Amino acid sequence: MRIEPPLSLSAKCRWYDVIGVSGRSVGVSYRSNRLYSVSEKESGGCGVRVNVDGRVGFSYAGEAEGVGRAMSRAMEIAPYGDGEDYELPGASMLPSVDCDSGRLEELDEAPLLAGAEEAIERIRSSFPEAEVDLGISFGSGERRILNSAGFEGSYRHSSFSVGITATIVSGDGVRLSVSEGASSTSPVDYGDAVRRLLWKLDRARDVRNVEAGEVPVVCTPKAFASLLGIVISGLSARSIFKGISPFIGKLESRVFHEGFTLLDDPLADGSVYSYPFDDEAVPARTKKIIDRGVIVEWLSNLKYAARLGVRPSGNGSRGHASLPGISTSGVVVDGGARRLDSLLAEARGGLLVDQFIGLGQSNTLTGEFKANLDLAYALENGATAGRVKDCMLVGNLFELLASGPVFSRERIRYGSTLAPFVLFPAVNLVR
Amino acid sequence: MTLRNAARNMLPQLEKLLESIPCDYAEARLTIGESTAIALSGLEVESISSGESRGGSLRIFDRGAWSFCSFNDFAEIPSRAESLLRRSARLAGAAPGLCRSRPIIARYSTKTEVPCDDVPFDEKFELVRRYNEILRSPSSVQTTRAMYRDSRSIFLYRNTEGTEVSYDRSFCGVSLAAIAKDGSLIQPYSESAAGYGGFELALGREEMAENAARMAVDLLHAEPAPGGSFNVVMDPHLAGVFIHEAFGHLSEADFIYENARMMELMKRGRRLGIGDLSIVDDGSLEGLAGFIPIDDEGIASGPTYLVRNGVLEGHLHSRETAYRMGEEPGGNARAISAAAQPIVRMTNTYIENGRHRLDEMLDAAEGGLYVADALGGQTNLEMFTFSAGYGREIKNGRPGKLYRDVMLSGNTFQTLSDIAMIGGDRAMFGGLGGCGKKGQSPLPVSFGGPHLMVKNVLIGGRRP
Repeated sequence: MRIEPPLSLSAKCRWYDVIGVSGRSVGVSYRSNRLYSVSEKESGGCGVRVNVDGRVGFSYAGEAEGVGRAMSRAMEIAPYGDGEDYELPGASMLPSVDCDSGRLEELDEAPLLAGAEEAIERIRSSFPEAEVDLGISFGSGERRILNSAGFEGSYRHSSFSVGITATIVSGDGVRLSVSEGASSTSPVDYGDAVRRLLWKLDRARDVRNVEAGEVPVVCTPKAFASLLGIVISGLSARSIFKGISPFIGKLESRVFHEGFTLLDDPLADGSVYSYPFDDEAVPARTKKIIDRGVIVEWLSNLKYAARLGVRPSGNGSRGHASLPGISTSGVVVDGGARRLDSLLAEARGGLLVDQFIGLGQSNTLTGEFKANLDLAYALENGATAGRVKDCMLVGNLFELLASGPVFSRERIRYGSTLAPFVLFPAVNLVR
Repeated sequence: MTLRNAARNMLPQLEKLLESIPCDYAEARLTIGESTAIALSGLEVESISSGESRGGSLRIFDRGAWSFCSFNDFAEIPSRAESLLRRSARLAGAAPGLCRSRPIIARYSTKTEVPCDDVPFDEKFELVRRYNEILRSPSSVQTTRAMYRDSRSIFLYRNTEGTEVSYDRSFCGVSLAAIAKDGSLIQPYSESAAGYGGFELALGREEMAENAARMAVDLLHAEPAPGGSFNVVMDPHLAGVFIHEAFGHLSEADFIYENARMMELMKRGRRLGIGDLSIVDDGSLEGLAGFIPIDDEGIASGPTYLVRNGVLEGHLHSRETAYRMGEEPGGNARAISAAAQPIVRMTNTYIENGRHRLDEMLDAAEGGLYVADALGGQTNLEMFTFSAGYGREIKNGRPGKLYRDVMLSGNTFQTLSDIAMIGGDRAMFGGLGGCGKKGQSPLPVSFGGPHLMVKNVLIGGRRP
């Protein structure tokens, strides 16, 4: 993929960068226990950001050949753009990371179909009434960045991901839907995901009532990963600059319990969230964002790092058709010293929560959350005692993470997040 | 080369391809488009862009399974199609068939008063700047986001039934948000309006900007909503979100047709609510965000009664789900782009007017909450949650004390049966956001209804 802009245009820019993305993938979809579709997807395009007289314009095209047209359009609208006086990163030593296992889209799907059917059969042998949806997606692509500061780099990346959902609807309309998944840069064994799914279905056969009020809550790594989004949005340099983060003025301050350490790790081998440089050509680095409860760095892209006068964290993120935003790569939360068993035993009379509905709809800027329980279990004597439903958890996540969360030694990866189980001693349950 | 010409140049090749494919059914979609976006935030120009996109797909149904390929390099279409056919030959699904349709040969074009192409960039920028100034005007507004987007595209559709459609479409709208701050309290509020049309859809939104700024500031000083079960009066906006989330998704037949228990729960003729309750999805309502003259399987759109007079009457279908359930497809197979597979989606979904006045409903819900506007919603097809923009205590038959952080949740069937009174003041809403399903988001939709009085709705919050 060649993405060099015409010199006649680029020479008029104070600086410019061009991002080119391309990818191909194959998807296999089983719906309600049977093969539903096979798909091939090709995608790509290029985006051009220009700085003309200190102001930034942007445009994009659906193919690499459109780079000249995109640059021309970007220059036309640049006078309306924001004043941005940072410089782009030049050529530098890039870290080594394994994020490519070749052209996975060329894999023979026959053994994958056989494996999928075996997994579905395994679930239905225990739960004949379950409707299983299973999707496998595998492919590869390339990201390329070229800029006026002398950076020209590209890397290939591959992805293999599996998602499984088993749904059981009872005669009275009660719906139990459990989802699990796995992803890697190479074909992945999803046997653990199937085992977890079966465990969750099995424990949800009966429905139990829990009294409203303050109850201890253990979040699974999956539930905790979804809650973490509320924290992460406040750690963005953009939120800090705009004055809408509750963490303003709290860099280098202890905001959370000392057991809470969170890293952003774009250099984990085999992770589909890894990269050697971000989408602005900033070399990737693994860094602590929260260290034993202390905020030690903001997540930033070039623009907001410059606004705050801090070193860019390498979290500039974009597709080809947008300006860079800020997002995490792989998120890692340190585990604690205690085993899950002891957390469950301590949460007597409480809940084990795995899936929420409507978590992101609250005013999460302040850490508040109100979410219905899509999948949660009552805890009695250190074990699950049936599913709890038709109620909501209400609380402030920042207060919960400050006041004494207990993290398990065991950790599980869900999507981009590797996290432990977490016990919150008292959360408000409403029904 | 114009967009139209670029897309049309590809048609002979696609038509030849469709004719040559040995299968039960095949369709091809192509689109080429341009888009402009402007986002101002506080004193910053957060982003401006103007770009072009292209994409397409080919889909084959053969022996009960779908094969699909998407592409954005039109030169690659023959090789992509060849690969697709190789895969298709190895598939054998269990679906017995598809509903057929008479061919449609038509050209559609969005009706616009002021075509977005005719408006210079600086005029668009100035409009957004003006809205942003209004949003910024209260001193306690910390930051803002005033966003404008327009897109123009040529959509071409062909299938093996002989349908030939071209659609010159234009979408435009604004989203206006203010975030107010007082010490550690941070309070956002946003409003959005968008639909199929021209630049006129973005004009005249000063009142919307004023309202977003005023509500963000007012809510700073409001208490969080109390938790518990309340009788509520929903405004038309929230009533629309409720019916979209709580019942619209449940009516999507791809969630129903292969599950015997869901088929039983969603059986036609089941009574779901009071006699005044009628719920409709209608993609043929021009101008609204969910307007589609045909769906992405070449089926003409039109009204589908999901509930009529309190009784379940219909479902939302693709060709396949309609065939499986023995019903007619109503034009609800939609894809987020020409490069995505069509799935069953809503269009413009609403509750029809009833016969009650607002004051009657407020009297009936004395001691409860008036809940209005919507920040979003989600469902798992049994339970739903959605968040209101704000709530007010109902006292002496009037909305009074203001509440923030109002999250409503409940069981869909129970809540439908708890709708006690329906007003006569239906309004429709749509914005730059949209609906999400199976990774395809945001799909433009609209929703609406009249005021509703609903009994026993669970409000998330600490108990008073």
